Amino acid sequence: MWRPCGVFDATYEKDMAIVRTSRHWIALIVSLVIFFFIPLYGSYYIVSFINTLAITIIAVLGLQIVSGYCGQISFGQAAFMALGGYTSAVLTQKFGLSFWVAMPLAGIFTGLYGLIGGAPSMRIKGFYLAIATIAIHFVTLWLLLHLEITGKSVGLTVDSPQIGSFVFDTDERMFYIIMPIMILMTYAARNLVRTRVGRAFVAVRDNDLAAQVMGINLYYYKLLAFFVSCFYAGIAGSLYAHLTMVCHPEQFTLLHALWYIGMLIVGGLGSIPGVFFGVVFIRVMDEIVLIASPYLADWFPWLGMAPAAGLGLTAFGVVLAVFLIKEPRGLAHRWEILKASSRLYPFAY
Amino acid sequence: MTNFLQLLLLGLLEGGLYAMVAAAVVLVYKSTHVVSLAHGQLMAYGALAFWFALSVLKLPFILALVVALIFLAITGWFIERLAMRPLIGQPLFAAFLTTFAVFLMGDGIFQLILKGESNSFAKYLPGGMTSVIGVPLPTTQLVSFGVCLALFSGLAIFFRRTKFGLGMRATAEDHQLAQSTGITVRAIFSSIWILSAMVATIAGIALANVMDIYFPLPYVGIKGLIVALVGGLESLPGALLAGLILGILENISAGYLDPIVGGGVKEVAAYVLLLFILLVKPYGLLGLVRIERI
Repeated sequence: MWRPCGVFDATYEKDMAIVRTSRHWIALIVSLVIFFFIPLYGSYYIVSFINTLAITIIAVLGLQIVSGYCGQISFGQAAFMALGGYTSAVLTQKFGLSFWVAMPLAGIFTGLYGLIGGAPSMRIKGFYLAIATIAIHFVTLWLLLHLEITGKSVGLTVDSPQIGSFVFDTDERMFYIIMPIMILMTYAARNLVRTRVGRAFVAVRDNDLAAQVMGINLYYYKLLAFFVSCFYAGIAGSLYAHLTMVCHPEQFTLLHALWYIGMLIVGGLGSIPGVFFGVVFIRVMDEIVLIASPYLADWFPWLGMAPAAGLGLTAFGVVLAVFLIKEPRGLAHRWEILKASSRLYPFAY
Repeated sequence: MTNFLQLLLLGLLEGGLYAMVAAAVVLVYKSTHVVSLAHGQLMAYGALAFWFALSVLKLPFILALVVALIFLAITGWFIERLAMRPLIGQPLFAAFLTTFAVFLMGDGIFQLILKGESNSFAKYLPGGMTSVIGVPLPTTQLVSFGVCLALFSGLAIFFRRTKFGLGMRATAEDHQLAQSTGITVRAIFSSIWILSAMVATIAGIALANVMDIYFPLPYVGIKGLIVALVGGLESLPGALLAGLILGILENISAGYLDPIVGGGVKEVAAYVLLLFILLVKPYGLLGLVRIERI
């Protein structure tokens, strides 16, 4: 672990701490308190935006582990999310389980399915694997669309979670379920990637043959990465299904998976804070395009009546290409530079 | 039996279309080792440009074709200059992801242009059915298949006989070696994108004869990518073979399995085939097996 000059850790606990200084603690607690009060004072729009943001962050965290840390680019995250959502929906609606049981079960089931989804990684890698995960996406969604238990093309309706008689039926209430889970998942991911397992992932990413020579069991770690990633996707899908109260294949298209990969690239592959930067950056950009598009349609009539989807995609593609060419390490790298320069200010180094 | 024959022949004709899309992907991979997602878009834009020239500008067929080819050649060159050239020397995966960014960008612009409508060509090919060994087949598809075969044989001659094609093959082997024998690698890179964009245009026009020009058209490009992977990324014959196999498989599985499982088999047959082939032969049917070193 690289530390700036002048930082000394006297104890092992101090050395291992994620939140390192008292200022960090203050910033963390203050921001948590502010977050806690958002649903009470924020508008409905803000709250629902943050909810979808948080769910996306959970899904992209999973993608970060399998793609950013373990190097197995997966275009299947949307399908895995769909599976999580459907599992949770079936468990609560058809088997009458409570949401609190169904959500972890959905995560585990999706994780196990991810072992099948990750199976091609035993023989192939790189873009071969990326295209194979596209195949897995389509096969999974086809199954969901054609099985009897998943309601075929109608989809499923989902009830809101509840504790006793308290029903989490609004976005403001769901906020208090989604946020703690997101924080927990972030903490888990942050911890996972600095353990033995996380270092093994990085070794597999950087050079899988060299990793194997060093005694890392490639298949075990690749499949483990897929399991963890799909667990995250399953949780995210479950939350999403219970937030929107429906489960339909249209909610999880290939385009969603492509957006997730894009968020990862913009944020920076191989960095947990990068997930936050990427998701927030892309989502805010998309939202701005969405708000601006009616005005643009007024000013430029040749854009057509509803240019939002097309404009959003175009902007996303341009941003992605610019990041890949000019800043392949993503916003996380810029953040590190910013941190370093603020620490050293007024000196250059 | 006639049913089977019809499915087989229709599948064969459709497979020719997939093979053409795959050919564009294979061309790029052959000389630059970049797997391109962008060719689905190039294909769609080719069809769109041809449609625009033919149906809106009311140009005659040959002129419209030339206009579409020139337009797409310029587009391909732009993509190479703006997105691919800065990434020479970077990991290949970055180039792959950049083509993916180009795909998204193109998809957005495509949707902006179409405005949710779907366009189909004015009829320029003879319609109706032609009977082949007792099986009636749409004439347009037969013509498309003929174009496909002509395209593949043309590409084969190009790569085996012309100096430029040989230069491209040499570039694929080793950039530095090719450069030191006097081949301009940068020119090869540009021209391969131009060439593949033109191949994609022809594929797109042939494809748009069968399906209309509307928003899912670029996503057939993903199928082309799958065909290229199944056939082996370096191999043009592999692309043709895999395209035909896929076309036949899709039609036969749809014809016989659809009544059992209730429809939609055609959508997933390609992906199931890909997963199976990748597990059995990771480098495709006719692809080169790579031996890796640390």
